[in-house]
Amino acid sequence: MAIDTDKIIHAVMQGSRIREEKGIIPLFGVYLSMISVQYYNRISFGFEKRAENRKYAQKLLVEAGQECGYTTFQGIRNSWEWDEVVKPMIETVEDQIHCFVSIAIAFGWGDLVVQEVVPEKKLVIHANDSYEAKGYLDAYGKADACKCYMLRGVTAALMDLVYGDGYPDGCFQYAAVERQCQAKGDPCCEFIARKAVR
Amino acid sequence: MNINWHEKFARKGHELFLSELPIALHCHHYNLNLQKTLETSLGSDGALLLYQASEESSYVSFTSFIMQHPKITTIKSKLEIASTSYQYCGLGIINFKEIGPNGGRVVSPHSHHVTGWLAKFGRRDTPGCFFSRGWIAGVLAVIYNKHIGYYVVDELECKMTVARECVFEVTIA
Repeated sequence: MAIDTDKIIHAVMQGSRIREEKGIIPLFGVYLSMISVQYYNRISFGFEKRAENRKYAQKLLVEAGQECGYTTFQGIRNSWEWDEVVKPMIETVEDQIHCFVSIAIAFGWGDLVVQEVVPEKKLVIHANDSYEAKGYLDAYGKADACKCYMLRGVTAALMDLVYGDGYPDGCFQYAAVERQCQAKGDPCCEFIARKAVR
Repeated sequence: MNINWHEKFARKGHELFLSELPIALHCHHYNLNLQKTLETSLGSDGALLLYQASEESSYVSFTSFIMQHPKITTIKSKLEIASTSYQYCGLGIINFKEIGPNGGRVVSPHSHHVTGWLAKFGRRDTPGCFFSRGWIAGVLAVIYNKHIGYYVVDELECKMTVARECVFEVTIA
């Protein structure tokens, strides 16, 4: 069965309309929030600019994205919504990656496409209109370096989840780079995850 | 005035919008990990960045929302709408019971950030609702027709420190 991205997006859109009595959105095993992308971009790029060591700040932002991608998608993979909506579509190990990417699209993180999966070795994702790249361009103009820290971390996290050691030991076994970014004028953002060098 | 929030939440292509402004869905793992990263790295400057980012985004969002709904004119209805928007966004419950143009108190018995922090990191020793503080400052500036930064919001009690509820004090800067 092919991965039905529209069906996954529909499930997220429907599920995210449900509030429990405390005003919390429990969906796919996590607590969701709807927050302006302006907030996230202000935090990431504000942190980068305020930090004494900019490279270190960027590394922390990528790690935050990776750790969160790892825990978030693990929660999602263990949820009843996953079992009901997503699991029936999965035939191969690699299908999981396509399903995770469909959920990321549903979350409004960008127009993501899996370009290449080499089992256990390499994952290439292209993104159009990532909110990070778009937000940087809007606020600061053309960048001199790639800016999609969250999506870079998430790309590595998907490999950690699918090919790394069992949860929770597999995080950071893969690392990703962003080779192209729309914030610096490239045609799309390109993320490549490979085994981390230790 | 009743707002149909479900109609306000829309997908256009791959982008998500709430009341015409771009939003993203993120879960507590990301939101609270970002908070911890900023606090650990920048200390009080990190907390201030979280507060200011939230204040700016809530100010912009609520200004846009009020402009789209010119029939919402009274302070009472604006406060109610602010509270329901907080809830719709999955941020929790917020009560503007003792508030006026010169400040006052705001209470939150439940919030995304408290639930997420306690689930992920456990109890804190100090108040940690920087997002909510900034959010309150931003919407109140819109509601009372003030400039951004007009109000300062402090957290007197916080559920992250196992208080019964989060209590915020609003004063003029």
